[in-house]
Amino acid sequence: MASQSTGSSFSRRGFLGIAGGVAATAALAACSTGGGSGGSAKAIKFWNMPWGGTEFNPLDKKITVAYKPKSGMGAATYQEIQWANFTQTFSSAVASNTGPAVSSGGGTQAFQFAEQGKIAYADNLIDSWKKNGIYDDFFDGLVDTLKTDKGYAAVPYNLDVRISWYNKTLMQEAGVESPTDWDSYRNVCAALKKNGVYGFGLGSGAGSFTGSHILTAFMINNGGGLFNADKKPDCVTPENIEAMDFILDLVKSGYSDPASATYTSANVQSQWKAKKFGFGWDGAGLAAGAVGDVAGDLVVGSPLTSPSGKKGGLYFPNNIMMYKNTPSQAGSEAFLTYYYQNMKELWTKKTGIGLPPLKSISETPEFQADPNNVKIIKEWQPIFKTWAAPGGSGLFYNIANTVDGTAPMITFAQTILGGNTTSKAALTALQTSMEGLMK
Amino acid sequence: MTTESVIGALKKARSGVGNAGSGKPASERERRRRFTHSRAFVFFVLPSLILLVLLNLYPVIYAGLQSLRNGDLLSAGNFVGLNNYIAMVQTPAFWHAAGFTVVFTLVGVFGSWAIGLGLALLLRTRIPAGGVFKVLLLLPWVVPVVVSATSWNWLVATPQSPLPVLAQALGLGNVLFLADPTLAQVTVCVFKVWISFPFMMMMMSSALASVDVNVYEASKVDGATAFQTFGRITLPMISRSTYISWILMTIFCVNDFPSIFLLTGGGPVNSTQTLVVLAYSTVFQNFQTGPGVAIAFMMTIVLVIIATVLYRQIRKVNIE
Repeated sequence: MASQSTGSSFSRRGFLGIAGGVAATAALAACSTGGGSGGSAKAIKFWNMPWGGTEFNPLDKKITVAYKPKSGMGAATYQEIQWANFTQTFSSAVASNTGPAVSSGGGTQAFQFAEQGKIAYADNLIDSWKKNGIYDDFFDGLVDTLKTDKGYAAVPYNLDVRISWYNKTLMQEAGVESPTDWDSYRNVCAALKKNGVYGFGLGSGAGSFTGSHILTAFMINNGGGLFNADKKPDCVTPENIEAMDFILDLVKSGYSDPASATYTSANVQSQWKAKKFGFGWDGAGLAAGAVGDVAGDLVVGSPLTSPSGKKGGLYFPNNIMMYKNTPSQAGSEAFLTYYYQNMKELWTKKTGIGLPPLKSISETPEFQADPNNVKIIKEWQPIFKTWAAPGGSGLFYNIANTVDGTAPMITFAQTILGGNTTSKAALTALQTSMEGLMK
Repeated sequence: MTTESVIGALKKARSGVGNAGSGKPASERERRRRFTHSRAFVFFVLPSLILLVLLNLYPVIYAGLQSLRNGDLLSAGNFVGLNNYIAMVQTPAFWHAAGFTVVFTLVGVFGSWAIGLGLALLLRTRIPAGGVFKVLLLLPWVVPVVVSATSWNWLVATPQSPLPVLAQALGLGNVLFLADPTLAQVTVCVFKVWISFPFMMMMMSSALASVDVNVYEASKVDGATAFQTFGRITLPMISRSTYISWILMTIFCVNDFPSIFLLTGGGPVNSTQTLVVLAYSTVFQNFQTGPGVAIAFMMTIVLVIIATVLYRQIRKVNIE
């Protein structure tokens, strides 16, 4: 019978033999170098995040795989990593030595991996960039935001910023102009309120950390911030209390949307779209978001001068880092030099990536065509500070687990935006929580 | 059949010989065949068994070890014994989250059960377009929670959303469904009941369908009122399914992360934070793996206790 015949020919021994063969083939395939590695040298694995719209990663990949390495160096392979669970993706890959040689990622990721001894410091790369002109092309002070005691943990890649926006039509209807200091800002809010429009527009709901960013930005604007020169939390300072008193005054005066403590990014955009927000605080991409017809009316405001006479704002220098687990450190550095010399199109083709780190990109006609972006670079970029303010400018390890998207920061923002607290009580609670998270 | 023949038949049955068989013991060859057969069986089952153990047991053991260390997502950290457990139970945030978990679970289980049972009873009666009605009622359970949460956010989040506008029109003022801590708690509980009642409706419908119609007819003959029929016949007859559905829904509620996280993120000011949301934010926002996993383990222990108590109740029902 056919069935019997088949059964005898496909014995268990035979089955095990075939299975062994398949496993050996798979193992050999896994051990072999990829097709794009180029020659005998192993390829440099570059992992990048979806920093912009759908067109970002395809163009980024095109730039990456176009890299032609010098003799003896590996080519580059490209892998897009989704933001969902990216911390786990990177941590498991790096821990098992299957991670990238070069990657972008979370803004403070490099400092976390540096703490684990996984980062290849970029000091040699920076030195070479000082010779070929790339270093001088970075905005002033930007590279140093990534400098640690042991060296440069990463190099700046794109800038995520927190700035003010206003709806010019609603401002005109209220008969006010863009504010220049805290007092004039309060007057703008009062004028907008008369028309049923909120002047302190922001959100701090599920998945939205912007609220806590903006409150910190006001502290920095007043010469304050969250960390002292010893990199320790120092929240309950006169500058911070004054800044939070000002915010609480705005909240209690009805200048902020009472539901804003729980607004998601989508809720914030819908409030701009519904013309309920006349003045507010957000990232550089607000006008390009889902704000509908209002987009054309949205204008970037100027930085405010605080009662202390200072100006300041908060930004997040997203960065690219190199790992020790690389087939060749020289190869990683050579690839990054190529990448920085050729990444301009990511901005000139408007892929949606954040603001550029290089002056030369900000001077291109394509970038200059957007007056809002130009204003951010011209007026805001020089006054931006990092989470490390006022104690310093360089980011460090503890920022990741104390303030960057942490639960205490969200709770702090929601407490202030709820209005049922005092500045000192809220800042003291934040200080206690941050101290508890310090390592 | 005489008593002797019955005893003889029982002996044969015990020795594995059919009543009509010869009664001869199994041959050596037969025994060897059975041994080879069972060995082959073990051989084929073993890979799946190993895989199951690796997939289920390994993460549990690994997580258990993590809860005894002070590491983060990138490093294992040092052994700290039960310090993470002790530290967590000493924080007010833990007890607040535990309290709201209890409230959320009680409302979720009994709210969805009451509505589900009510609708299951209603659907037993002949109503026009009953099939369509059933499908529509299943939608909250079928639709992914991401979509449901987004829809509810649209319904309640801003002052211009439909429900706040309705509340304003009814003279209730500016009702902040998500921004007010108490109302946010009510909103997430109602949301949980809304997405869960179809499951309860299905469970109760199948339980009601299994009740013998003759019992109802007999009670009618005995003159039982509708209330008496429900309380003394329907509820006891479906009690087994009810307890099972309570166990399942308790597990669903205690472990429900997306409903709360998508709607409020645990806010405002942690008011809607349950233990599972606290565990998530501790591990993935604060990078405190040990304390976060410790919370998850404590949740598991409590769930096992609740499930055990309810299972005993089911066994009691079976015995009765």
